Amino acid sequence: MLVGIKNASKLIGISIISCCAVLVCTMFLNFYLDVRSIKNEISSELSMIFYHAQVSTVKVVCLVSGGCLLLTSIVMLMFYIKHYIDTHKKELGILKALGYSNLKIAKSFWIFGSSALIGTAIGFGGAFLLMPRFYALQNKDKMLPEITIHFHPAILLYFVILPTLFFAMLSIGYAWIKLHTPVLLLLRDSLQITSKPPRHKGNRNSGLSFIEELKRNTLKSKKTLVFFIIFASFCFSSMTQMSLSMKDLSSEMMGAMMLIIGLTLAFTTLFLAVTTVIKGNTKTIAMMRVFGYSQKECCRAILGGYRPISYIGFLIGTVYQYALLRITVDLVFKDVEGIPAYRFDVPRMFISLLAFIVIYEILMFAYAGKIKKISVKEIMIE
Amino acid sequence: MIKARDIIKSYGNRESRFQVLQGISLEITDGDFVVILGASGSGKSTFLNVLSGLERPDSGKVLYDETDISSLPDDKVTSFRKENVGFIFQQYYLLPNMDVDKNVRMGADLAGNKDYRNIIEAVGLGEKLHKYPGELSGGEQQRVSIARALAKRPRVLFLDEPTGALDERTGRQVLDYICRLKDTYGFTIVMVTHNLNIAEMANTVIRMNSGKIADIYQNKAQKTAYEIGW
Ligand SMILES: Nc1ncnc2c1ncn2[C@@H]1O[C@H](COP(=O)(O)OP(=O)(O)OP(=O)(O)O)[C@@H](O)[C@H]1O
Ligand SMILES: [Mg+2]
Repeated sequence: MLVGIKNASKLIGISIISCCAVLVCTMFLNFYLDVRSIKNEISSELSMIFYHAQVSTVKVVCLVSGGCLLLTSIVMLMFYIKHYIDTHKKELGILKALGYSNLKIAKSFWIFGSSALIGTAIGFGGAFLLMPRFYALQNKDKMLPEITIHFHPAILLYFVILPTLFFAMLSIGYAWIKLHTPVLLLLRDSLQITSKPPRHKGNRNSGLSFIEELKRNTLKSKKTLVFFIIFASFCFSSMTQMSLSMKDLSSEMMGAMMLIIGLTLAFTTLFLAVTTVIKGNTKTIAMMRVFGYSQKECCRAILGGYRPISYIGFLIGTVYQYALLRITVDLVFKDVEGIPAYRFDVPRMFISLLAFIVIYEILMFAYAGKIKKISVKEIMIE
Repeated sequence: MIKARDIIKSYGNRESRFQVLQGISLEITDGDFVVILGASGSGKSTFLNVLSGLERPDSGKVLYDETDISSLPDDKVTSFRKENVGFIFQQYYLLPNMDVDKNVRMGADLAGNKDYRNIIEAVGLGEKLHKYPGELSGGEQQRVSIARALAKRPRVLFLDEPTGALDERTGRQVLDYICRLKDTYGFTIVMVTHNLNIAEMANTVIRMNSGKIADIYQNKAQKTAYEIGW
């Protein structure tokens, strides 16, 4: 086997995210299916309004969290595969040189699909553990008749089995496409000949210092990581602010759940992104240390470029959560009298921003320590 | 003045320890041109690494004037290297995702060197300014690595097999250029080579044998890069 379980275990990020997605979607969809079966038993008009409000919340939550998380896991998976191929270029090149076909190599990438299986299975199981409390909370005012929990096999099929198959196929297919690189290019350790032809614009950007250039280069060479950093701060900003609003709009449990999911997502993606950045630049950092660049300069060149980007993510998250809540509130409560339109909450934004800055700087400080540990001997390790 | 005192360095774990450097002592005066010869595996690269502060010896001292760099903390050694040392590695170690210009600039920025492009011209890579290491031949990569170290204007230049991948003509050109820069800036050169002829260019020749200095002598007269055989 070319790609082992050990490589697949690095995809824990995908497991965590798919776990969150399936947990939320299973819980809400199961509730939706069960609540639909008791629709006929609803007699009062008020209960009917409440029923409709519940149903639209379910739809919005499933679409937003499910869709958003699914997309992230797909991007993450493709990123991992590309990263795996980039970092194992030599081995793969040798295999190809020996006569292994692309398809034969690509087939062993199916194991990456197991990350989705683990995540979705845990999420599915977890949803059923949480469901009794969730059902009780959703109906705590006894507006609706008693709702019993049923097991819906379709959910298992759509949220566990199909995603796993889909991810396994996607891994094979994407790896197969990516492997269509000439053997020599795989064997040579140059990243750029294939991806970006050097620009012969002469002295155009010669004004930039080495550190600035490296900073740009780090950002440009891995655009997916830029997306992940934006996504991480986006999750943090939108989910913390939303969960703070949830107390008033829905239940505290919803708020707590959102907060947990948001933080999990934010930290998983940020961790993934930053460790990849550091790993990918270990040799560069070691070489800079050999030449005498200080630890601070190394950090600035490698990690500094991501700071403004994370603030952009925070901004997008803020706008997103406001728009989403505004629309949801308008939709859900449109028939209910006396509920004012949802307003943007400035203090909440500042609380979230402050937390964001503090956490981000602490994390970067921790990663700076990691960079400090890189020994100059790293350059000599092939 | 660089002084090495009883340098001992070993590799491996407790079961199989291998002493690569077995107590080396040496003095190098400022502006000296030292060539180190020796069989493959005799510990030349390791000695160079210790001498330049890339590696700590297990015991012994490396003194630059009166500073013992083997006992300095990591960040101090780093800034020491920044001020003093230029390095040309046997395996080049260029940054693969930076072009020639930026690779050399990495060294130049540390010394605030604004006309580093002259150096790129001088090693014959003016045409390849915006090529990436993966697009260069072995010898061209070696010359980038040389330009990168020279651009830093070091006080001491360590070279590990700097002409190993170069043909005679380019090899002579590069050595000649290094010597001319040495005359201008007066830096010290410590060079490892397998080419016995190059030893005739040096002031001091050291012969290493399994981790020890087997022989050390001064050349009475130095030849230039164009006078030696190849
Ligand atoms: N990091 C290391 N770990 C274990 N052993 C090492 C390490 N580096 C070097 N050695 C061993 O130390 C010995 C000397 O290595 P060194 O690279 O100094 O030799 P050298 O004289 O430069 O040889 P060459 O002329 O081939 O470059 C070798 O036997 C090598 O196996
Ligand atoms: Mg060597």
